[in-house]
Amino acid sequence: MDKVDPTPDPVYVHTLREAKIILCLWTICLVYTCTYCYLYGYLDHPTQTGSTGPSLGALVGPLPQFDRDPDSLTMPLGLGIPDWVFYGIVVPWCLCIVGTLIFCVFVFQEDDLGVEMDEATGGPPDGNEDRPDA
Amino acid sequence: MTETRGLTMVVFVAYILGVFVLAAASHRLLAKKSFLHEYFLGSRGLGTWSLAFTFAATSASGGSFGGYPSLIYSYGWVLALWIGSYMIVPLCTMGVMGKRINQVARKTGAITIPDVLRDRYQSTPVGLVASVMIIFFTTCFLIAQFKLGALIIEDTFNLSFRGSYELSLAVFAITVVFYTAYGGFRAVVWTDVMQGIVMGAGVVVLIPIVLSKSGGLQRATQTLSESPPMAVTSVPGPDGDKGTFNDLVFRARRSPSPAGIQYVHPRVPGADLSVAWDGTPDAFVRVALRTDDSGMVTSTANDVRRAIEEHPELSDAIQVEIPYKNNRIVTQNGGFVTVGADGLIWFPDDVSEYRYVFLQGEDFLFGPGRTNTGAPFHPLGMIFSFFVMWAITGMAQPGTMVRLIAFQESKTLNRAIMTVTIYFAFIYLPFVFVVMAARNILPVLTPEDSDRAIVLVATRLVADMGTAYQVLGAIFIAAPFAAVMSTVDSMLLLISSCAVRDIYQRSINPQVNQRVVRFVSYATTAIIGTCVTVAALHPPDFLQKMIVFGAGGLAATFLFPTMLGLYWKGMTRQGALASMLGGCSITIGLFLPTLAGSPRIELLGLHPNVWGLVVSLVLAIVVSRLTGPPPPELVRRYFYR
Repeated sequence: MDKVDPTPDPVYVHTLREAKIILCLWTICLVYTCTYCYLYGYLDHPTQTGSTGPSLGALVGPLPQFDRDPDSLTMPLGLGIPDWVFYGIVVPWCLCIVGTLIFCVFVFQEDDLGVEMDEATGGPPDGNEDRPDA
Repeated sequence: MTETRGLTMVVFVAYILGVFVLAAASHRLLAKKSFLHEYFLGSRGLGTWSLAFTFAATSASGGSFGGYPSLIYSYGWVLALWIGSYMIVPLCTMGVMGKRINQVARKTGAITIPDVLRDRYQSTPVGLVASVMIIFFTTCFLIAQFKLGALIIEDTFNLSFRGSYELSLAVFAITVVFYTAYGGFRAVVWTDVMQGIVMGAGVVVLIPIVLSKSGGLQRATQTLSESPPMAVTSVPGPDGDKGTFNDLVFRARRSPSPAGIQYVHPRVPGADLSVAWDGTPDAFVRVALRTDDSGMVTSTANDVRRAIEEHPELSDAIQVEIPYKNNRIVTQNGGFVTVGADGLIWFPDDVSEYRYVFLQGEDFLFGPGRTNTGAPFHPLGMIFSFFVMWAITGMAQPGTMVRLIAFQESKTLNRAIMTVTIYFAFIYLPFVFVVMAARNILPVLTPEDSDRAIVLVATRLVADMGTAYQVLGAIFIAAPFAAVMSTVDSMLLLISSCAVRDIYQRSINPQVNQRVVRFVSYATTAIIGTCVTVAALHPPDFLQKMIVFGAGGLAATFLFPTMLGLYWKGMTRQGALASMLGGCSITIGLFLPTLAGSPRIELLGLHPNVWGLVVSLVLAIVVSRLTGPPPPELVRRYFYR
């Protein structure tokens, strides 16, 4: 058996690193947006959610304290967007656009993805990858 | 409206002609290039714009222009949270696996997702299971989309004669099957680009028009918060949900208002119609319906309206109106006469009452949103589930993954991610602004008719503007049709590629020549399209639920076998098989009650799709640990220079 070359495929290394960064960004968005919107954008916060895991209340205190009074609604910057939507979704969405552009410009590696292999020959194609007519 | 309908017809015809021209141009290329690579993958030649728009258009099915605005109309601002994970969807769905899966596909010359998996695991069973799963889940998805396409044509042109559904289905099917079968992948991509540009431009132009015509978002939000409580019924009809003319709108005139309206089937013969309310805000207005000698309900919505208007106390407390499309128009003495909501309040055999609650303005401004029966729309478990679903399950849809193995170079992917990020930001969040701003100037829609919210926005707001704006309105009416087509063509080709490439060429007849492959590819695409059309003639009622089921099933089947196959050296073929079969089995199991009309099973309040992914991940890791390590030559081929 051939000995394995210890040099990892650079595309694998780069894409794995990029995938980890993206999944970290997704987790940050998930935690911030879901938590903020649930706490500050919901009229009622039932204490019995049916979940057997650690409840959100254990982390932030009794949930009913976050029950929203409809009269407390504000619209930041006079845009007509409810405050919880503005801070919980519009602002992070804008930040995500900026983050994505930064990722694409500074983090994303422009790798050589290789040439197309012909499954029949195991080498580069000769211009007609399909089997010839009989 | 007539003028708009004429323009809509022109836009439709122009659009369909455009699609055929693109198919013909694409077909010419088929003769010059390797057939299979060109027909199913566009010769791996997608550029930035093609990749960006085909990715976006394939992701955006008819739901984006029908179901999504309908949900915004029905539940309000909470839809911004429902769609919230789209802020990072392009980065997740294209960035996590895009470059790597493209490289891996090139290593073996793979042109389909089952191809990639079969080669990565050196396993025919993995490839065949992948193909069968794609064919099964995607066919469920396709039947529903064909039905949706036919309904859009029927609704748009107000076709209501006998056989109008069949005619609409035939027009839709012939168009989409022809251009997909004839033009292949490149035709699909080109039409996706055309559809994507139309959809994006339409939204961008519509935003300022709607904001200006409605008096601005701030005023609309303020008006909504001050609006009186309102209940809208959604009574089914014996011939389905459409055109039954039996719904009403109940608007509170003073405080306290009733909690809601309760229709009761007395289940005794010869009962009289009666209405009653005890005056307390926690109580429902009880409407006991009239029955004939055989015990069948004979009360119409008009009867209910009249009974409440004639009731001395209720007439002061509630105003009754007829919602959009429930005021029947009949011809009488050569003219048109409206006869109101004269449809029967119909009950299935196993139902004896309907309850509809009064929704306050605040229910549309805050979460969780409430249905017209009072159930929470987006509780905590669903917030988490949907954030996972859009971004994570979106990574593993074979229809979009195949686009990731079709782009030219990594620079193409990089630019496409930026393009789609900006494109989605201009589509999905502004939709919430548009519908919420327009909500107060739209007629009251029942849940069944709320699918027409965006069409009404487009047509009513531009009706008195110039021709250019009316064309825009017509484009918006055509947009759901374009969105359905752009999804259907991709799915059709996906199934065809599985059947031709993965099952026929790679498993049954590896020595098949190009001429036969060409014939089989055209024939398979056409046959699958025909079969789906026939199935859509009498689609089961649960098909809309099957769309969600299909997407979830595909994700549970493909996400971890693909992602771990690309990034984890220890992933084995047994782990991949267990992950695929386990993930899809759990998803099917949790959705199974929907076949009997019951709700799906939501363990711990989470969507079944989340559980499918969890089980798939656990099985992939555990079984791979138990059966590993994988063959060194495979590890070397895919992870080292």
